[in-house]
Amino acid sequence: MAICTSLYSTCSISTPSKTHLGFHQKQVVFYSSGIKKTSKKGGGGGSRPYVITCTSNSQTVVIGLAADSGCGKSTFMRRLTSVFGGAAEPPKGGNPDSNTLISDTTTVICLDDYHSLDRTGRKEKGVTALDPRANDFDLMYEQVKAIKDGIPVEKPIYNHVTGLLDPPELIKPPKILVIEGLHPMYDSRVRDLLDFSIYLDISNEVKFAWKIQRDMAERGHSLESIKASIEARKPDFDAYIDPQKQYADAVIEVLPTQLIPGDNEGKVLRVRLIMKEGVELFSPVYLFDEGSSISWIPCGRKLTCSYPGIKFFYGPDAYFGHEVSVLEMDGQFDRLDELIYVESHLSNISTKFYGEVTQQMLKHSDFPGSNNGTGLFQTIVGLKIRDLFEQIVASRAKTPVEAAKA
Amino acid sequence: VRPLAAAPDKITDKVVESIKQAEQACSDDPVSGECVAAWDEVEELSAAASHARDRKKDSDPLEAYCKDNPETDECRTYED
Repeated sequence: MAICTSLYSTCSISTPSKTHLGFHQKQVVFYSSGIKKTSKKGGGGGSRPYVITCTSNSQTVVIGLAADSGCGKSTFMRRLTSVFGGAAEPPKGGNPDSNTLISDTTTVICLDDYHSLDRTGRKEKGVTALDPRANDFDLMYEQVKAIKDGIPVEKPIYNHVTGLLDPPELIKPPKILVIEGLHPMYDSRVRDLLDFSIYLDISNEVKFAWKIQRDMAERGHSLESIKASIEARKPDFDAYIDPQKQYADAVIEVLPTQLIPGDNEGKVLRVRLIMKEGVELFSPVYLFDEGSSISWIPCGRKLTCSYPGIKFFYGPDAYFGHEVSVLEMDGQFDRLDELIYVESHLSNISTKFYGEVTQQMLKHSDFPGSNNGTGLFQTIVGLKIRDLFEQIVASRAKTPVEAAKA
Repeated sequence: VRPLAAAPDKITDKVVESIKQAEQACSDDPVSGECVAAWDEVEELSAAASHARDRKKDSDPLEAYCKDNPETDECRTYED
């Protein structure tokens, strides 16, 4: 976990003035003591309070989310930002085709913005967007590092409609920075900047079913074109994107159901949340008893389930040589409010009050995946990230005191 | 199959065109970089079209109107 190790921390003093002059007075000073916040209470009428905010104590927490295009990154992002409260919106007054989303605490940037080749360039060279040669990892590293250190950056914008690189936009350091895209864990320097990483692993069958749902209504598309597009991108996907999952702290795996034999429709899903053990500040969720292997069918008097029902599984496992805990849900809910029954049997979900998972799910019952494991596990991962963020902030507040003791 | 909530025509036309181009690029050599890059473009445009469709679907006509006209009878809301 990154702590501020620099000798001097950057602070800014601002003087809140009653008369708004149309500019914001901000000054950068150096200091070496452990002052976090001081306010000089004015005895007379003349002095104004000074607010000193230190960027070293509000250093940005960086989260990486990797998934293929059309695999629900944006739904996950909406669930995640909702956990932190407030809606995420594109930067106001900027490029209408900006990929960035900003809320009070969170800024989400799309890594497509770090394409080194635009659409024409990729076509000329015969490479896909999945290919590392089409991406500028040096710039990605420099800018993510700068934001993490509290420095605003001018980030390029990749325009998905025109396929061109547009003029850059200013990104200010938020409390939480989420980098989402195809390669957040590809470059080892970028990977080391991440405080937490997630990989959305959608099986080929489900990917195909989802893309049919997405594209069949679109003019020009046919079953053949959807199949051809998936097939053509697969070698690059397997070579450059898929291997990143071994580095993820949490993987959400989406598979066809096992409750209906031979089902490939992609409507009923078996979703697995694979959580790495031994990650600092992240304790995996468990069902009933930590470390046991449990299979649980909650359907009965307390939970209404129609065909094919719901089945949970929990247990330890190995994933790319790492010790992990796996929580699995197969099937779907008929009545979302009965999710509270399931929630009450899960432990370590980092909720602030009883029923928070259910409440979050009900808030966004119109999002895709709200009646199955994808929505449930995305919400839980969102709560785990909030918990991680709060722990990091708390540990930073303690650091100056410990440093003084040493 | 009907285009229920179609994406803005500009993107839809681009998707149609890109599929045609991809089919053409792959008729010569189905494993060439050219073919693969062309299908990747199809995917990128389809994703952009789907995002545009979602944005359009989300917009409630009354809410859009009330954003610009919060003082009108049908839009006024009081906290208490």
